[in-house]
Amino acid sequence: MKIAGTAALPFPPERAYDLMQDPVLLAKAIPGCEALEKTGDNEYSLKMKMVLASLSGAFDGKVRLTEPERPHSFRMVVEGSGKIGFMKGDGVLRLTPKGDGGTEVAYDGEAQIGGTMAAVGNRMIDMTARMLIKRFFEKLSVE
Amino acid sequence: MIANAFDYTAPQSLDEALTLIGNGAKPLSGGMSLIPMMKLRLASPEHLVDLGRLKELSYIREQDGELHIGAAITYYELESSTLLLGKCPLIAETATHIGDIQVRNMGTLGGSVAHADPAADYPATLQALEAKIVLRSATGARTLSTKDFFLDTFTTALEPGEIVAEIIVPIEPGLTGTSYQKFRQPASGFAMVGIAARIRQQAGTLSLIRIGVTGLSGSSYRATNVEAALEGKQPTEENIRAASALVGDGVDASADLHASADYRQHLATIYTAKAIRAALSRSA
Amino acid sequence: MATTVTRIEKLVGKRLRRKEDPRLITGTATYVEDIKRPGMQHAVIVRSPHGAANIKGIDTTKAAALPGVSAIFTGKDITHVGSVVCGADLPGLRKPVHHILAQDRVYFVGHPVAVVVASDRYIAADAADLVEVDYDVTQAVTDPEKALAPGAPAVHPEWPDNTAFLYHQTGGDIDKAFADADVIIKQRITSQRLVPNAMETRGVVAEWLQADRALTLFTSTQIPHLARTILAGQLGIDENRFRLIAPEVGGGFGSKLNVYAEEALMGFITMKINKPVKWIESRRENFQVTIQGRGHVDYFELAAKRDGTMLGLRLKLIQDLGAYHQLLTPAIPTLSVLMMPGLYNFRNIDADVVGVFTNCVPTDAYRGAGRPEATHGIERMVDLLAAELNMDPAAIRFKNFVQPDQFPFPTATGLNYDSGDYGATLQKAMDMIGYDDLRKQQAAARAAGRLMGIGISTYGELCAFGPSPATPAGGWESATVRIEPTGKVTVHTGTSPHGQGQETSFAQIAADELGVPMDDIIVLHGDTAIIPYGIGTFGSRNTAVGGPALYYALQDIKEKVKKFGKMLLDAEEVTFENGVCRDPKTGKEITIQTIAGAAYRAMKLPPDTDPGLVATKFWEPSNFAFPFGAHIIVSEVDRDTGEIAIKRYVAVDDIGNQLNPLLVDGQLHGGAAQGLGQALWEQAVYDDNGQLITGEFMDYCMPRARMMPWIESSHTVTPSPVNPLGVKGVGEAGTIGSTPAMVNSVIDALSTLGVRHIDMPLTNEKIWNLVNGAKA
Repeated sequence: MKIAGTAALPFPPERAYDLMQDPVLLAKAIPGCEALEKTGDNEYSLKMKMVLASLSGAFDGKVRLTEPERPHSFRMVVEGSGKIGFMKGDGVLRLTPKGDGGTEVAYDGEAQIGGTMAAVGNRMIDMTARMLIKRFFEKLSVE
Repeated sequence: MIANAFDYTAPQSLDEALTLIGNGAKPLSGGMSLIPMMKLRLASPEHLVDLGRLKELSYIREQDGELHIGAAITYYELESSTLLLGKCPLIAETATHIGDIQVRNMGTLGGSVAHADPAADYPATLQALEAKIVLRSATGARTLSTKDFFLDTFTTALEPGEIVAEIIVPIEPGLTGTSYQKFRQPASGFAMVGIAARIRQQAGTLSLIRIGVTGLSGSSYRATNVEAALEGKQPTEENIRAASALVGDGVDASADLHASADYRQHLATIYTAKAIRAALSRSA
Repeated sequence: MATTVTRIEKLVGKRLRRKEDPRLITGTATYVEDIKRPGMQHAVIVRSPHGAANIKGIDTTKAAALPGVSAIFTGKDITHVGSVVCGADLPGLRKPVHHILAQDRVYFVGHPVAVVVASDRYIAADAADLVEVDYDVTQAVTDPEKALAPGAPAVHPEWPDNTAFLYHQTGGDIDKAFADADVIIKQRITSQRLVPNAMETRGVVAEWLQADRALTLFTSTQIPHLARTILAGQLGIDENRFRLIAPEVGGGFGSKLNVYAEEALMGFITMKINKPVKWIESRRENFQVTIQGRGHVDYFELAAKRDGTMLGLRLKLIQDLGAYHQLLTPAIPTLSVLMMPGLYNFRNIDADVVGVFTNCVPTDAYRGAGRPEATHGIERMVDLLAAELNMDPAAIRFKNFVQPDQFPFPTATGLNYDSGDYGATLQKAMDMIGYDDLRKQQAAARAAGRLMGIGISTYGELCAFGPSPATPAGGWESATVRIEPTGKVTVHTGTSPHGQGQETSFAQIAADELGVPMDDIIVLHGDTAIIPYGIGTFGSRNTAVGGPALYYALQDIKEKVKKFGKMLLDAEEVTFENGVCRDPKTGKEITIQTIAGAAYRAMKLPPDTDPGLVATKFWEPSNFAFPFGAHIIVSEVDRDTGEIAIKRYVAVDDIGNQLNPLLVDGQLHGGAAQGLGQALWEQAVYDDNGQLITGEFMDYCMPRARMMPWIESSHTVTPSPVNPLGVKGVGEAGTIGSTPAMVNSVIDALSTLGVRHIDMPLTNEKIWNLVNGAKA
């Protein structure tokens, strides 16, 4: 399913870009992230726990940051799998300066979900993805 | 379709329930959302505490000029309560839009509120009624407005150890007209959009208008821009249409297999006007 | 001895309530899930969450360590068990070997990878969660047209073009038809994948008795005898030591006209562990791994004269087969080809079918099986032609119908339509709905800006499968009639009714023929140890093939009853009517009950006659039967929301003679609901990775009672000459007739906006977009 939208960060693009490449900050901002460890160039292993309504599950996965074009754009791939299923998000983030000194981040990508988790219903996938993205940017903005 | 093993307690009192929940047990009410999740093993709580059997949470009463509804009241009890039908018909009407008879016999108001499903019906109604939500824990109680309670997709202000204990809704003077209008997602019956409208007229103008919205986005909300556009105005068809068109302004509408964001926005507009018209026809 | 003969009212043709209902509505029927055997174990299957992947390893250590787990099996354990059987054959058909547990790779979501057996179902489910499978996920393909494109991922690496077969059929002179045409209409028409969703999911209980080398297997199936033959072959056991029982079966719609991996798997397990074992399919498994229906992309081209005369039809049919073949998978689209001319009098057809592998669960027979796709296609094409020529859709149908004096009518596809008066059903439906007046109302509605539509479907159906040469496993049916010593009657049918009501309608036939009360008759089925070999229930064949078998068995037994009557009355000749043998000379009479006692007591026997009263008949039909009908739906589209309101639904069906009109109504109403489901709501949607995203009732929209219109139903009756009962078959008719009527109605409503075709399902948003787009 397609995931696209925009978010605002209260920093100029260069700083916004760097924040999103910083594993320590990423670990703080990725909702439910319990551990993020570098495994290679721009590649990290990820442990996260997702709790949403009554649903909860632990995921092991990885984060990859590729196609770097500082401070304009990069690609982020997050994937994880666990007992309740697996998920993958793959998208390009484009940063443009805003008049107020902040940055608008436009993201455009695909989200996939599989396994039992897919049984929660199609409507939940979109809403959940949006909420996780929103939280991610909210966390980043207070850095 | 077989849940993981779990402990189950049917407590004798609310205090006992709150102590167990304070120790990490998961509250179970009607089970209409939680049990299916458990059967799919998407939720695996270790200990369930059944609130559905507590008499202390099962009441509808008039008190200090307001209506107090215990969290364990079922949808069926809401739709068939003569007290509610007479003094706050919107809350009774909303129940008739939910699921099927079996679900209405089991599901509870408190369960729906605590679950905060973005497409559930009651959040819209409670927003329009400016309801108050009473939360309790082993250590105390607090009362929140709907705005402060419903935070995001499945996310509420409930802290660990806290439960929704009571919903307080106003007694509507006879002049108030209300309506809940819902476009059902055909498969699940959840709200693709659901609009609750609450209206009072005075000398041909709208003296009060409240619009609660569910289903359109990740969380229920009050469409204050629609309200502002109509308050003090005459309820002409033109005014209603113009105001209804504002319902989704600035809202990040959900999209899924059943409805794109654009279609949801459009339905919200149509259904806002529909709910306003229906509420008008019921207001003196 | 003698009583007065009173004329007993005939029961065939009466609206009688079903004999089977009391047990169903009081919850006392026995389904597979209700069966418990001593020491019974429970199986839970570990399934692939991926549409395509290689299996790098399976670790069952943790699962096996769980107390209560009795066995775990994976692909390597079952290599000696026969693979899932495809009973269909086509020239050059590629048949993937589908083992009952995956070997080194999985090719659809839900593919069984391992099975955990434990002392209860909860432990089995816990243990299944502990089985660790290491997958190397590969690219899947789920859209049949994408699967045919060069460079698409191969579902089976050995066949990179994803093509299972090519099938070509031609009749008449198609090139001339198109050369002679004034008008050629071309349209791509899809019939989406559907989930059958029987109320009872599948389930199996298997019990092996080592000392007897005997297997008993309870399974929720439509074909107990065929399933036994196939499973005996897969398991390598003797058919006569294998008792297969279809207990109460809670619906099938074709999804249980199959033999599944799980049935052989449970047989394998019980033989391995020497204990009974039960597996009950969850609803989610039912969505994911039980066959689905339809899955067509059809490219039609219709050639016609400017006066509306249809000349010929070309079809390129792309059938989404799924990842492998179930019992009849590749055969289903060939049925579409057979019915592609519909009820129309043109003799030139050309069909190219390509069967495509995709990383989805297989398609197979689902109520209508191939005929709904064909009927939807031709009925849409006729409407498109009418729109192109600015003709009334009813008028163009009357112009092209096969006429009553043309029967038996040989079609361009090689069928021989048995009987009919197609114009009569359409005329009757038009009269009932007030067609001419409706068109005036529609003109007025349009003038007022309302979107009102009138949709016609005139369908024909090929059913009562069928002559044996035309079916994969024999097309006959068997029946046994046993008159017990007290005169009570036991009927055995080789069909396997699971909702169709033959326990009632067959009792009606027997009651009329033997002159005994309905209550004295019991109809048994679905147990291979009791019932002579039969073919089963599918293709609207129970009444039209099983019924005549019973009818002829009853004639045989009546002859024997008369022999005893003649002897007992000491008569030269006797009549047998209303359960009484009578000597017309003396007026002396004797009842069937008395005769039955004498036939078993056997103090004296008629010449060349054995004791007892039992007759068995195997009956082979000479042709299919061809029901038909006309459905008209009036609808109105809400401009604001895209919602469709069904204002009226008139159905006139001709299914030949009717044994029990109440059962007929039930079949037609249920069928219509299923057909409307396809038209408006249902769709199995897969994402590109093979995930079924409408895999539960929250997203897969089943028709509900509250969504159904009132159906104004009537009939014409053209008896089939193929069988002595004159019946045709009604199980699938409603499903076939309703879908195009609904779609044609909505397209008619939107025709003023320039809309000529919409693919199913006609969701609100799709309709709203069309209305909205037209506005812009």
